[in-house]
Amino acid sequence: MPLKPEQVSKLLNMVSSSDTDSLDCDGCFDHIAEFVDIHLASQEVPAALKAVEIHLQQCVCCKGEFNALLDGLRALEQPE
Amino acid sequence: MVEIQENWIERLSGEESVRDVAIEELRAILLRGLSHSMSNRYRGVVQAEDVVQDALLKILSSLQQFAGRSKFGTWAMAIATRVGISAMRRKYCPDISLDGISAGDSLRIEIAVDDEQSAEQHLDQRIILEKLSELIDTRLSDRQRLAVRGLLEGLPVEEVARRTMSNRNAVYKLVHDARIKLREGLGSAGIAADDVIAIFA
Repeated sequence: MPLKPEQVSKLLNMVSSSDTDSLDCDGCFDHIAEFVDIHLASQEVPAALKAVEIHLQQCVCCKGEFNALLDGLRALEQPE
Repeated sequence: MVEIQENWIERLSGEESVRDVAIEELRAILLRGLSHSMSNRYRGVVQAEDVVQDALLKILSSLQQFAGRSKFGTWAMAIATRVGISAMRRKYCPDISLDGISAGDSLRIEIAVDDEQSAEQHLDQRIILEKLSELIDTRLSDRQRLAVRGLLEGLPVEEVARRTMSNRNAVYKLVHDARIKLREGLGSAGIAADDVIAIFA
């Protein structure tokens, strides 16, 4: 079963945007709360958390959870 | 919001009457946050009410792992969000079986001709796709081909892991290493990532 044209495009995108990632998903999750606090405070990402930033660029699943977490936390900042 | 109460750990670990109140407060906070984050994802196939109890139990059983590097509320919502999104992914996943995809042809690329493109652009694309096909055949393992195919079919990493009896970290690593191998292989053939983006733009 050959790839469909849109899957070939997706594959090319995955390959061309690949970057060496020192974390796996659990490693990213271990630091995500800290990373999100910094993100929401619009602070510069410290060197120790750069790996989280790279993982989020590479992993669609973790990026999706990160975005959902931001949505949830922003909702909690709004008055009930 | 959550940080109005700064002694969450103490309260959640305290005597029953204090603990029960804290748990109900936390449940309400999680429910409110998850209701927003889950409602517009995966067509809302799972409701926040359906996962908040699981999330709460996960948080309570993980309290000792809270290292204080973040706000407690962010940490708790991170756990709850992962529980919620994972439940949605399991339910929403497209009805795709990886069983019918053999390792041999799991990433076979048919190189099509697009009449809209110039002959030069078409030639460049063909060169890249042929090289990519060759690299897939020669550099990737069967497990890597299958994992990448799963993602290209629209399955999340954790769903590929479940269907291949693996785990999320292992599948992510398979795909990550596959991407790097293909990128390096293209690079060795004189095809840079920027070239790929430009030629297929």
